[in-house]
Amino acid sequence: MSILAFFFIVVSLLSFVLAQLILKRAMEFSATNGLRNSRFVSLAATGIALMTVSFFLTLGLLQRFDLSYLYPFQGLSVIFITLLAAMVLKEKLSARLTLGALLITAGIVLVSMS
Amino acid sequence: MQNRPSGFGNPWLQLGLSVVCVIVSEFLLKRGATDIAEPDSAFSWTGINGLASPLVWWAILLIIASFISWLYVLRYVPLTVAYPLSRIVDVLVPLGCWIFLGELISALRWCGIALVIIGLALVAKPIAQIEERL
Repeated sequence: MSILAFFFIVVSLLSFVLAQLILKRAMEFSATNGLRNSRFVSLAATGIALMTVSFFLTLGLLQRFDLSYLYPFQGLSVIFITLLAAMVLKEKLSARLTLGALLITAGIVLVSMS
Repeated sequence: MQNRPSGFGNPWLQLGLSVVCVIVSEFLLKRGATDIAEPDSAFSWTGINGLASPLVWWAILLIIASFISWLYVLRYVPLTVAYPLSRIVDVLVPLGCWIFLGELISALRWCGIALVIIGLALVAKPIAQIEERL
């Protein structure tokens, strides 16, 4: 794997993780303030823009690598999103949820490596 | 998770719909990307040349559908629960390949699938108990 490929894999993963956190915040905000306000629109637009970046970078990567090769990196998103949701969004994170997220991540990596 | 709607608006049903759309779109994207692959072109790193494939456009439609369901789910369910559960995709895709395409699954891959299922059960069980009490 070239440095360029690694760079695009990391950027694609990071933009996906960030997008999920921002979209969650947007939807929480909309639950109390409705959809027609500038804060919701700008949060949702940022989230959608980041998802789009991640989508096209993945499409570029899929032209060069097998899905099974790229999948472990997507699997890492589970543990990143779970931990960041607890830290940034202050969601409750029990030991049970953390263990579950770790097992899912490990499982996805195993599935795609074998 | 207060005031959770029932019927079609049930967030768990929407999570399921979102997952189904994602699974189908994954296959369409891989097929589409392979059809129009131009590994020698630097521009193709952006993936934008993928839009030349009709399969990619079908996948985009499904992704938009799954995205709308997903936003709806996010309104009611914490990310720490919803996102790990959505990764049931990673079990269903290889199982689908095994059942429908007759592809072989190695021992290591079965172990991976088992780990994901145990992880999903850990994440899902407390919710099942909460739902029962409601």
